[in-house]
Amino acid sequence: MSSAGSSSSPGMRFYTVLWAGLLGIVIVEVLLTYGGLRPLPLLIALLALALIGAGVVLMYFMHLRYERRVLFWSLIPALVFALVMLDHIWPDAFRVTSMRLPVAASSTPAGGAQ
Amino acid sequence: MSHAEVSMEHVHGAVTEERPFGVSSKKLVMWLFIIADAATFGAILFAYGYVRVGSPDWTKPFEFFPTILNGIVMTIVLLTSSLTMMGAVRAASAGRPTAIRWLGATILLGTAFVVLHLREWSLMIREGWSPSRNPLGGSPLFGATFFGITGLSLLHIVAGVIALAVVTLLYRRGRLDASYIETTGLYWHFVDLVWIFVFPLVYLLNAR
Repeated sequence: MSSAGSSSSPGMRFYTVLWAGLLGIVIVEVLLTYGGLRPLPLLIALLALALIGAGVVLMYFMHLRYERRVLFWSLIPALVFALVMLDHIWPDAFRVTSMRLPVAASSTPAGGAQ
Repeated sequence: MSHAEVSMEHVHGAVTEERPFGVSSKKLVMWLFIIADAATFGAILFAYGYVRVGSPDWTKPFEFFPTILNGIVMTIVLLTSSLTMMGAVRAASAGRPTAIRWLGATILLGTAFVVLHLREWSLMIREGWSPSRNPLGGSPLFGATFFGITGLSLLHIVAGVIALAVVTLLYRRGRLDASYIETTGLYWHFVDLVWIFVFPLVYLLNAR
């Protein structure tokens, strides 16, 4: 079992640098939000930055990088597979939008013929 | 060979057999819990994406002050608590007594996060927000997803603070060893990891 205090694990200075990097990611995310990007590029940029931050936490703070590779390969691909499978919802989400009645028609009372 | 001898052989076999993942049982169980919990948070974030895409009258209610600024402070507090947790894990593994101080700092930062979060919720509730009500007139699903996602995250952080307090107390009394701090630390870093997704997706994407 690899321990956090083992010689393979880096010192606190290293983790402080990572922490500063994570704070930097937060600042970049806020700047991008108010930088006038359109919704889709903003979503992609925020997701990419969040994935980088999550990767740092997972591999270094949670020490997955210093564990046996079999632990990584047993856990992470299964999670990624489950999350990728959830992407099947998107066509239905867009279908729901196109199924909505126009606002003018939907605001007409049900007994409008009176 | 008697039944007792066979049992002893099994016990010794279990003790000497190499661990397939190279981690202790409690750490492996924590990893399995984290993966299952990550799938739960993933599903709830996908559900949020679904209702957001499917709601043309989606509301973006968050002003920079106070909500986004409060969210930035909460994020900094939680990220810093991950650093102090790392200090606790390292100090405990090395047998240094400073582990208690690092753990205390982590508990304080976790409590600060909870207070900031509850303060934000109370401000929103006072403005008329609820899981089924949108005071701005848009989709009420905003409140449902916002309170659902941040509530689940908050629940995890409150549970983490309680777990950290219990582990710190028992470690201080010598009833738990450093491996328990490492396992609790895994959980704490995971709630931090979840927030890394919640902040941009739920707060920043709903900023005006």
